Amino acid sequence: MSKVQVEGLNFSYNQKRMILKNINLKILKGEWVAVLGHNGSGKSTLAKAIVGLLEPQEGRVYIDDLLLTDDSAYDIRKKIGIVFQNPDNQFVGVTVKDDIAFGMENLCFSREEMLQAIDFFSSKVGVESFLEKEPATLSGGQKQRVAIAGILAMKTQIIIFDEATSMLDPYAREDLMKYIKKLHEEGLTIIMITHDIEEALLADRLIVLKEGEIFLDGSREQVLSEPDKIKEANLELPISLRLANLLDEQSNKEWRDSLWEYTLEK
Amino acid sequence: MGIHFREVSHEYASYQVGDYQAINKITLSIEDENEFICLVGHTGSGKSTLAQHMNALIFPTEGEVEINGKIITKKRDKKTNYNLLRKHVGLVFQFPEYQLFEETVEKDIMFGPLNFKISFEEAKAKAVEAIHLVGLNESYLKRNPFNLSGGEKKRVSIAGILAMDPDILVLDEPTSGLDPFGKRQLMELFKNIQKETKKTIVIITHDMDLVYEFANRVIVLNDGDLVYDGNEEDLFKKEELTKWALGLPETIKVLRRLKDQFHLDINPYQKTVDQAYEELKKVMTK
Repeated sequence: MSKVQVEGLNFSYNQKRMILKNINLKILKGEWVAVLGHNGSGKSTLAKAIVGLLEPQEGRVYIDDLLLTDDSAYDIRKKIGIVFQNPDNQFVGVTVKDDIAFGMENLCFSREEMLQAIDFFSSKVGVESFLEKEPATLSGGQKQRVAIAGILAMKTQIIIFDEATSMLDPYAREDLMKYIKKLHEEGLTIIMITHDIEEALLADRLIVLKEGEIFLDGSREQVLSEPDKIKEANLELPISLRLANLLDEQSNKEWRDSLWEYTLEK
Repeated sequence: MGIHFREVSHEYASYQVGDYQAINKITLSIEDENEFICLVGHTGSGKSTLAQHMNALIFPTEGEVEINGKIITKKRDKKTNYNLLRKHVGLVFQFPEYQLFEETVEKDIMFGPLNFKISFEEAKAKAVEAIHLVGLNESYLKRNPFNLSGGEKKRVSIAGILAMDPDILVLDEPTSGLDPFGKRQLMELFKNIQKETKKTIVIITHDMDLVYEFANRVIVLNDGDLVYDGNEEDLFKKEELTKWALGLPETIKVLRRLKDQFHLDINPYQKTVDQAYEELKKVMTK
């Protein structure tokens, strides 16, 4: 059963330039998919179209086999959540506690349920000690985790991370990536929008967007074995693979294998 | 004249976590010509606090900072025009693209120079000059800054500081949020600006690959202490790197792996993929 299905999606902000062109996509339950693309390739637009924040001119989106429409948007929000790039742009609550509760309030959870969920999910993401704090006093990494707690509390099964690590420092980023890994292991479906190929390597499947079209779609090994296409999509291979690609396939095979192993073991 | 820190400490007063020392007895000098400095250190090491002292945005709680011949101490001097120091040292905050506010790019760039009481015509000329320096053409001047891409916004906000013609440009994590090509382009741009204008550029960054490739001098902070001030070559040979929570550039990591695994006689300290390849060529079996 597919968790997310996109059919013939076309999107444009101003009718002049198409941002997304004929996107067809199936993401299965429990998959971890990285959507890669350079700045302006349409990846964030795709994320917003999938969760229903943007309405496409053409095409259909199904979440859990439910067609996304104005009427179903409310139900769809229970199934899929999104963590944005800028942690400061997604806070609505005065305290961390309020913020985690916001989604549940909108879905009319009972007070009991909410308090329980706040307890459970705040400790799950490790923000239980700041529940009474103002979100503004938290670090970037902590803010992103609060956002995740709010999404998980709605019993969401799919989370989109829209460049959620790009404003974090390397330590907070590593921390968040570890956390995403844990969510994946617990069975959540993860869609990660990123321009960082190293980060994308943690996913099972890589989708590369170029000028609004799906340009590559496959396993890590498949996508990384297309250096010319990666370059064409204005992305950069990891340094280890760029070096491997300079080496001769026969006479330097051992070195090449070692570099591949290094790249994939991260 | 440049910037000189003499035993500078800064302590923040905080009700929540108690007072804490962000930087600790820092002594260092930055020339106002031809330096390309990267300022590194893990989160909370005091990098941004140090940078904010460079144009008197904050004052030391101990010690003194000399900026362009003016001495800044704990005590605010009523006779000193601190604004003039900010013309000498331009500071670009992290995510400057969120600080654009005018309706055209031109007005946004002119805002800084006009604050320093130069004529409208002059400010206009400065804006033209600055937009070229950041690698955009004049057609951008009439555009709305909010319709630009992230990378373009970043450039426009940097142009706004360049238009004030500072001798020293300090940038707090200018490459964050950009894709790898955007990062490289921006670093190349700084290198070019430095070459063309001889300005000193100070960049705060976490990206060791960029530090290794671009910096001439690296300043490392660790828990508020200055622990390294020297060239980029020696830095990555230091054993204390892990203690300072700094990683190695990828080229070094990858070459060290090959060296150890295949017992190669190579020098792993190479800055670019091409240089790494050249080094490997030396030990390839023909």
